[in-house]
Amino acid sequence: MSPDDTIVALSTAPGRAALAVVRLSGPQALAIAGAVVRPWPIEPRTVRRCAAVDPSGAVVDRLVVIVYAGPRSYTGEDVVELVTHGGVAAPASVMAALVAAGARPAAPGEFTRRAVLNGKLDLAQAEAVGDLIDAGSSAMQRAALTQLDGGLSGRIRALRSAVLEVEALIAYDIDFPEEDDGPVARDRVAASAAAASGQIHALLATAPAGELVRAGAMVVIAGVPNAGKSSLFNALLGCARALVSDVPGTTRDTIEAIAEPAGAPFPLRLVDTAGLRETADVVERLGVDASGRALAGAHAVLACGETQDAIAAAVQQIRAFTRAPVVGVWTKRDAGPSGVVRATKDPAEIRAGGSASSAYPVVAASAISGTGLHALLDEVVAAVAARWNVPAPDMPIVTRARHRAALSRAAGELAEFQSVWRARSLPAIVAAVHLRAAVEALEEIIGAVSADDVLERVFSAFCVGK
Amino acid sequence: MHPPNSLHTEASFDVLVVGAGHAGTEAAVAAARLGARVGVVTSALETIGQMSCNPAIGGVAKSTVVREVDALGGIMARATDLATLQFRMLNRGKGPAVWAPRAQCDRGLYRRAVRSLLERHANLHPIQGTVARLTFEGGEPGARGLGSDPDNVGQVARVTGIETIEGRRFGARAVIVTSGTFGRGRIHIGADRQVAGGRAGEAAATHLAEQLEALGLTVGRFKTGTPPRIDGRSVDFSRLERQESEIESFDYSWSHFWDSPRATDTGTRHPAQLPCWITFLGADGQRVIAEHLGESAMYGGAIASRGPRYCPSVEDKIVKFPDAARHQIFLEPEGHDTAELYVNGLSTSLPAPVQVEILRTVPGLEHARMTRAGYAIEYDYYPPTQLDATLAVRAVAGLYFAGQVNGTTGYEEAAGQGVVAGLNATLAVQGRPPLVLGRETSYLGVLIDDLITRGVDEPYRLFTSRSEFRLTVRQDNALARLAPIAEPLGIYRADERAIIGARIEAVAEAHAIAERTTVRPEQAGALLAAAGSAPLAQPARAADLARRQGVTLAAVFAAAGVGSGLPRDALVTAELEIKYAGYFDRERLQADRMRQMGEVSLDAALPYAGMQSLTLEARQKLAAIRPATLAQASRIPGVSPNDLQNLLIEIARGRRRKTAGSDHEVAAGS
Repeated sequence: MSPDDTIVALSTAPGRAALAVVRLSGPQALAIAGAVVRPWPIEPRTVRRCAAVDPSGAVVDRLVVIVYAGPRSYTGEDVVELVTHGGVAAPASVMAALVAAGARPAAPGEFTRRAVLNGKLDLAQAEAVGDLIDAGSSAMQRAALTQLDGGLSGRIRALRSAVLEVEALIAYDIDFPEEDDGPVARDRVAASAAAASGQIHALLATAPAGELVRAGAMVVIAGVPNAGKSSLFNALLGCARALVSDVPGTTRDTIEAIAEPAGAPFPLRLVDTAGLRETADVVERLGVDASGRALAGAHAVLACGETQDAIAAAVQQIRAFTRAPVVGVWTKRDAGPSGVVRATKDPAEIRAGGSASSAYPVVAASAISGTGLHALLDEVVAAVAARWNVPAPDMPIVTRARHRAALSRAAGELAEFQSVWRARSLPAIVAAVHLRAAVEALEEIIGAVSADDVLERVFSAFCVGK
Repeated sequence: MHPPNSLHTEASFDVLVVGAGHAGTEAAVAAARLGARVGVVTSALETIGQMSCNPAIGGVAKSTVVREVDALGGIMARATDLATLQFRMLNRGKGPAVWAPRAQCDRGLYRRAVRSLLERHANLHPIQGTVARLTFEGGEPGARGLGSDPDNVGQVARVTGIETIEGRRFGARAVIVTSGTFGRGRIHIGADRQVAGGRAGEAAATHLAEQLEALGLTVGRFKTGTPPRIDGRSVDFSRLERQESEIESFDYSWSHFWDSPRATDTGTRHPAQLPCWITFLGADGQRVIAEHLGESAMYGGAIASRGPRYCPSVEDKIVKFPDAARHQIFLEPEGHDTAELYVNGLSTSLPAPVQVEILRTVPGLEHARMTRAGYAIEYDYYPPTQLDATLAVRAVAGLYFAGQVNGTTGYEEAAGQGVVAGLNATLAVQGRPPLVLGRETSYLGVLIDDLITRGVDEPYRLFTSRSEFRLTVRQDNALARLAPIAEPLGIYRADERAIIGARIEAVAEAHAIAERTTVRPEQAGALLAAAGSAPLAQPARAADLARRQGVTLAAVFAAAGVGSGLPRDALVTAELEIKYAGYFDRERLQADRMRQMGEVSLDAALPYAGMQSLTLEARQKLAAIRPATLAQASRIPGVSPNDLQNLLIEIARGRRRKTAGSDHEVAAGS
């Protein structure tokens, strides 16, 4: 929490939106922005259209950049505000580039805290800022996230314990050299470290699922014009719980709404597209238009068609843009059997990306009678959950970039420890620096610091007596 | 009403120390070094510097404290050098960064060394007497009731001196209480045998303890134990493993300030070395203990207070670790003038006849005669969260606590607190700024910070794991760490300043030679082969060679024919700094961060109780402990990072209120 750090965060709500604001603040804000923004420098308090590049020089987004020179800024420090494209990918990649250039993901409320410390805001104003931000998100979502965060804290505490266990073995060996239990075997330390590392990586692996839980799974409804897409869109919203409706899409060609099917571990961002056209040259053109972009970012696609052949054709076109799981929707089944008419053969196949023809289930549904809609939602949720390894709703997952960064750091330190331990290239006490750094990284997430914990472990596991 | 003290006092001191154990003697010497007129009151002058328990000094983390005490002008290292009868370097195989010297001492020699080191200070006056009470400005203050209004920290009583039960009165501007386990000490040998006593054969101190409690200070009870001792003439040594002294191979001196070598043609500064003996408690002994567990003072329920987990009684060991086949026992000589042995590892509060029975199950001790029974002692301590970083009692001006009264255990921990209290009591009397050691400077800094911010829930002992800085804070570099901090206080004599300068210079010189010396492949061949390291293809810098695993700087220098005049310990320090530079830098970065937090000072009068944005627990803890800095606040259990953040906001808000109408621009953008 050094005030010398330069911090970065997404300042707008995550998820589907036209624009997002990434804010950078601190003594190195100008230098860090200079490594990412082209052209640079930019005159303070002017609006410039720029490009953001990653460390390899590749353009990650086009954006609008505004520079505020401290103290005339929100935090009182040098601040750069980068207005990126909305959604999940664009702001995340710009943030990643800024972090790579030396910024640190901000802790919750840290911008406001700096503003308070620099005398720009007083407490009442700081609280008001918090209220404003909170008012923008739905109460239900917040409750869900709180619950999630609680589960996560428990998991992080367990990870911390696992790393402390390794540290305790080393501490015992150093602090009690003449005890009954004798020296601690190197293999025992290595095994503990491997166990801790495995647990950290397992949690890190939930990060993509975390994005889904946080921002929702983007489910694109595709098919030829008049395949019944818009009716399906509205009908699905009607039978799921619509959190937000009538969200304008990024272009006139798509419309979007957020729905949360009962019991689903993540919300769905339903996107209704203008429709896939049939000729090959038009397909090419589609790659740059809104429908194509929506497909490229989809977590799942509903391939709509009035016949099995139409569905198969839609799937084929969709595959040109995405490997996301596809669920076929046999639309306008106002009469006759509804529900799942072809089940997914193998969830593992979905996870692997699936083959073009065989790996999608088909659900027959009627927007008019509503039959088959619940089965369809279940199928979509199951496909997305399988593809992105979403754990059961009560399992903790990583939903925040800050947590992911801290976990990655912990994993890196632990890997470093394992490598020097294997190579025997450092004395235990020096190698343990990596363990302590890993513990610190984990503590950054939950905030619990005590050297006593190590001793607690030593005394519970060893007979310490001389 | 009491008459003015000056009419009745026998003498007046700047600093008066109550107790002459390891804390008290160091406190007195530290004060004397700063030029204070010092009195030391103890019940029996013969017991000055008594080692109440194990006759050993040093060990892991503790050895670093001994060196730190020495670097701050203390006497423990010097007394140890004079009394060592066996020396070991613990953690030898784990690299010099964690080397931990430990000395078994001749108890008698140690006591005599301490007393004579005290008497070298002309302004230091030993007094025999048992303190009956402290005297105060304006008579006896009432109970403070510290808990009822945690934010009322303005009014404190001021101590003016002491009175002994023999009727002697002494004035003092500061009093340092170092009464160890004597405060209402109760000795237990078995579940139904208890005697009042501060140490075996010595009376407890009850008057002072009662007064301190009446003043409103919080009092707790701890217990600790000691093992039986036996007559060495009754031991069958042929059955025991012998452990020899390693003093010759390390040629180690605890004190930095000797002006002559440890060993000369005419002799050594310490007595001849004696071996220790290793045996074990096996199944038979464990069975005896299990059978008699109900008769143990601790397991029989006579003692409810907490004891240390790391120095457990043998009853504890067999209850907690029933699967251990055997527990090690070390037989340690008590001195050259006696055959008595200390039975380390067998601390117990079982009845004396049971102790004899247990002893006789131990290989080699089949016919052992017990000279003294082991016992457990229960005593008053004062939770150290009542102290500030100078070890001053916050509620009583001029009163300091050091040593076991603060809930610590160990001679070294006591000595370290003694130095800090002695220096600070004197600095306060002299109207000078206090000496506060940060955690990044020393184990002493860790010790005191832990005590005053975290408190203790069992007798506190130092471990390397308690320090965030165990790479950069080591026993080999204590002088370099602390002398620059202590120098401005004026505690060193001219000859000592010269030694400090030479030592710091020697490390710098070793670095310089390592950087500028080029070693040719043929020079390095043998030493690299010995270390299992790849041979050189072309010349290399000495520093780069010393970075290699298993290669010592001393060996590199010897091969290159440089640095022959440098002391061995300077080479060890330089080698560690070269080898692990990257890791040391990480610790230094963290030290910088901690220092920054340490620079955010917290007003002692902050109204924590009214800070609604802090959790109730945080408010209570902060109000009770009153940390001096944000860094200290961050280490208080129950104060979360979120609380710290809110605390800063509350402080900023308080400041804004005070400077209402300030012209801060409030940015509209959010």
